[in-house]
Amino acid sequence: MYIDPTTGSLVLQFLAAGVLSVLAMASRVREAVKNFFKHLIPRRGRWAGKP
Amino acid sequence: MGWQAVEGSFRDPSGFVYSRDGTLYRQINTSFRQRFEAFLASGLYDELVRDGLLVPHEQVGLEFSATNDACAVIRPQRVAFISYPYEWSFGQLQDAASLTLEIQERALARGFTLRDSSAYNVQFQGGRPLLIDTLSLEPLEEGKAWVAYKQFCEQFLLPLTLMSTRDVRCSTLLRSYLDGIPLDLGSRLLPRRTWLSPSSLLHIHLHALAQSRYAGSAVTSAAKGRTMSRKGLLTLVKNLGGAVRRLSWRPAGTEWADYTTDNNYSETAARSKRNLVVTHLRESRPGIVWDLGANTGEYSRAAREAAGLVVSFDVDPAAVERNYRRVRAEGETGILPLLLDLTNPSPAQGWAGRERLSVEERGPAEAVLALALIHHLAIGHNLPLERVASYLVRLGKLLIIEFVPKSDPQVARLLLSRPDIFPGYTKEGFEKAFSRHFSIRAAAQIEDSERWLYCMSASPQAAT
Repeated sequence: MYIDPTTGSLVLQFLAAGVLSVLAMASRVREAVKNFFKHLIPRRGRWAGKP
Repeated sequence: MGWQAVEGSFRDPSGFVYSRDGTLYRQINTSFRQRFEAFLASGLYDELVRDGLLVPHEQVGLEFSATNDACAVIRPQRVAFISYPYEWSFGQLQDAASLTLEIQERALARGFTLRDSSAYNVQFQGGRPLLIDTLSLEPLEEGKAWVAYKQFCEQFLLPLTLMSTRDVRCSTLLRSYLDGIPLDLGSRLLPRRTWLSPSSLLHIHLHALAQSRYAGSAVTSAAKGRTMSRKGLLTLVKNLGGAVRRLSWRPAGTEWADYTTDNNYSETAARSKRNLVVTHLRESRPGIVWDLGANTGEYSRAAREAAGLVVSFDVDPAAVERNYRRVRAEGETGILPLLLDLTNPSPAQGWAGRERLSVEERGPAEAVLALALIHHLAIGHNLPLERVASYLVRLGKLLIIEFVPKSDPQVARLLLSRPDIFPGYTKEGFEKAFSRHFSIRAAAQIEDSERWLYCMSASPQAAT
């Protein structure tokens, strides 16, 4: 290491990574829930045009 | 000694760049041997070079080393023209930031990391940004945070956010703060609404507060044994990437960005001027041309027909941005748009005034274009013609310059709000002033206009 990362920057980085990971996980859970309900309730007209 | 150190390459004890007989080399010191060999063996070097993200190099023998502690010497492909972040447009700085983050993402995927993220490690080659510091990559120590995070925020994210949300001219701060704009200063300068932007809040405002809160604290006590997973690092880098991509700036509303479409050239005059420029350049076939006052680069593209690279300088950030966007959109490889105020050109600066080169030190160019420029310097900035000539002769060996007489509407516009205190600004006065430094090889009136185009060579006595 030849540049000074500075203590404040390292502490903030730990905080940032933590917050962002939680947000990313929350976003993935939200997507999974949305997809679950999407598959559970067929969209109107889904069967239209099928013999 | 036989070698000359490159003045800006001294901070990293792992190695340095120097030239020997006009060829550029980078020495890798013994202390970095294992990390350098691991980098080459990992496949990361091949991947980055293959995708045009890192400068390729050729390994040469130790007989080319500069000092005794060399364990390897490489000969990197030379970048045609070195430019600095304070000379880049918004889009160039944004692309350089994205390149840095993309390299960090790819490095993390292979268990490596960027140990610095200096904007000066990026150069533009073939119209695209390129990392030129081969020693920036090293194996990742699991659990460690990204040491270059603060540097990235200060050199890329903060300047871009200031340019996007406050004023694009904030990029000139990079000329004063070579290590990046201090976070506390940037936090104070940014508009209040940026506190509502999650990425600005986190990476700039809270970052600045953390800097102040932990100033003087040891890492061990403040971090309390925390570690950072590789996934955490990747999340951080992806978030920075999103923050950089979301920033935007529309190049409009400045004086010169609309100049090309709002000037008084007829089609015949524009064609005549273009033909004269290309004809003069074809006679000398220059490798590098500097187009001073290039605006959005219309004549840079004409010059490109006869030159290897045209460095397309302009003072207006909007014009440079438009020029760069065109380079990117059309995949042009021989045009390098850069921001330059010719009345206050980039100086030699940094440590001992030698770390970053002045524009002049990066020359002389084989040819210089100064089209529709002289009246802005002589009348717009009160520069005596003789002084303009004595500076231009230091920039290039061949000068293609347009003389715009007082009868031209563009000159009349400059004199609208001021008395005419320029009795010497005549074709004869121009020729007399420039003849002291150049020998005039050709002069021709541009068709359907009162303007003249001159082709001049630097006089041997003037260059000394």
